Amino acid sequence: MTTAAARKESLLNRLDGMRQIPTIPAVLSPLLRYLEQPVEQVDVHKVADLIAQDKSLAAQCLQMANSPLFGRWQKVESVRGAIIGLGIHRVSDIAMSCSVLNMLPGKNGGIDPSVFWEHSLGCALVCRRFARKINFTDPGKAYLAGLLHDLGIIVNLWALPQEFRGAYEVAREEGIPLHEAEQKVLGFAHCDSGRLLAESWELSPELVEVVAHHHAPQQSLNHTALVSLVELSDLLCRMTGLNYGYVEKRQVNLLEEPGFAALAQQCPSLKDFDWARLTFELDSYMDEVLQHFKVWQWVSS
Amino acid sequence: MITAQLQSAAAIEGAPDPELVRIRDLVYEVAGIFHPDNKLRLLLDRCGRRMKELKANTLHEYIECLTVKPIGQKELIALLNEITIGETCFFRNQPQLDALGQIVVPKIIEAKAMLPVRRLRIWSAGCSTGEEPYTLSMLLMEEADTCLKDWIVEIVATDLNEHSLAHAKMAVYGSRSTRNLPPLYRQKYFVPIGDQLQVQPAARSATNFSRANLSDHDSTAFTKGWDIIFCCNVLIYFDLASKRRVIQSFYRDLLPHGYLFLGHSESLYGVSDDFRLVHFPGTTAYVKGEHAQVGRQ
Repeated sequence: MTTAAARKESLLNRLDGMRQIPTIPAVLSPLLRYLEQPVEQVDVHKVADLIAQDKSLAAQCLQMANSPLFGRWQKVESVRGAIIGLGIHRVSDIAMSCSVLNMLPGKNGGIDPSVFWEHSLGCALVCRRFARKINFTDPGKAYLAGLLHDLGIIVNLWALPQEFRGAYEVAREEGIPLHEAEQKVLGFAHCDSGRLLAESWELSPELVEVVAHHHAPQQSLNHTALVSLVELSDLLCRMTGLNYGYVEKRQVNLLEEPGFAALAQQCPSLKDFDWARLTFELDSYMDEVLQHFKVWQWVSS
Repeated sequence: MITAQLQSAAAIEGAPDPELVRIRDLVYEVAGIFHPDNKLRLLLDRCGRRMKELKANTLHEYIECLTVKPIGQKELIALLNEITIGETCFFRNQPQLDALGQIVVPKIIEAKAMLPVRRLRIWSAGCSTGEEPYTLSMLLMEEADTCLKDWIVEIVATDLNEHSLAHAKMAVYGSRSTRNLPPLYRQKYFVPIGDQLQVQPAARSATNFSRANLSDHDSTAFTKGWDIIFCCNVLIYFDLASKRRVIQSFYRDLLPHGYLFLGHSESLYGVSDDFRLVHFPGTTAYVKGEHAQVGRQ
């Protein structure tokens, strides 16, 4: 058995509790696959039908679409109506962010899992904004990658709640990155456990790479630019209020991050990029994320 | 009419008024101070005050006041005054102070550990009425028995305005300036004078005030070898050429490991390629970039 395979097996053994993790939300997988195709081929009816398969998710989407968060003045009565009013991508974003929220376990001894979702949604918004600013090929994919990059945290929350809490406490007390604390306490990080989940859900190869390598984009084989974009956006979020609910006490120079050089190769405009402005813009994403969460709480109660 | 426009602009969720966005972008481009979408109401309120004064009925008209020469430049300064009004207070930017105390000072101590003289030098450039340098003095006095034991801490504060400097030296402040003051500091470093507070002599004597014009390098020539420079909401009033000159002199006068802190949401983008932006929790600063330093030698 190769070292990598042995490591995977040992990790799988440790993550025996992974069976408890909700399976991929029925809608998420086909929706993700369907949206892979070029925008002009995407059919409103098909997307509406896909979302409508999950009745409770469809209800969440509708109520969210009708909330002031999305600035609707006219009430929409169906998922199809929401798609016509808000656009396919906005409704898909709602469906996917709700799917991820629905996967989180309840509060578990000291950790409020909603901070991880808030970070992920914030990261998704930053990824998309960042991608647009640097003319990255697919801002929609960047959003999705940001939303799903921390799937491994969901695995850890379900499979090893006590040990993960220990790692989280170490990270919070020492003010260090969560993946470093996980490595210390658990012997692996959420990138490793996330990769297992992403592979078992058969996510696209680029999303698997994002989940597996967003803290070390140099290890990404085929999708370095997307992984790097997520690495930098994730870091920006963690240095602002869109963190994991604690502060990393350190100084970060984004230009020295491995992802910077890799992304600059694909997006030359990055060399003269206004990082300060993107950082200041993050301030308003915090409000958006919190409002989104409040609406979801209200819709789900 | 103004009220109607202000209300309609404020009521829009997720789609800010394009004219307000234009003003935001103009302010950022010229002054380097940025209002994110969730702070646009604040900018709108500030514009509203100026519009009343100028009897401009719409944001569109106000944009003309900001952009048409020769009044544009003067009006922009009037708007910036509105934007920064009430900004001066003790402990104004807590994330910045946390970054200073928890990350920057320990890094500087490490960088200078082998030097024979243990001296930490901070310049508050454009200190106005003194709240910022006194905050820094008090914060570092708290470390005098721990990480700064045996260190000489020197805080120099300069401003162009003599009235502001006189106020700073008197060190008597009302409730607006002291609104963010943590109770510990209020108790330890202030004495009440009527309904105002005066900074205690120990913190006062640790802070040296003098008059200096930042855009006149001769008047700041005495200032060299800084570990940290604070220059908050001062550069926003300078034109690009003066800004570049001031930033170049900051660069020259900072030690190789030196830090430059600006005001909240203030940026050097387009002004300097020498400094490197760094992120701390909830705030940013600029460091003297190593590459640039090598290039200059």
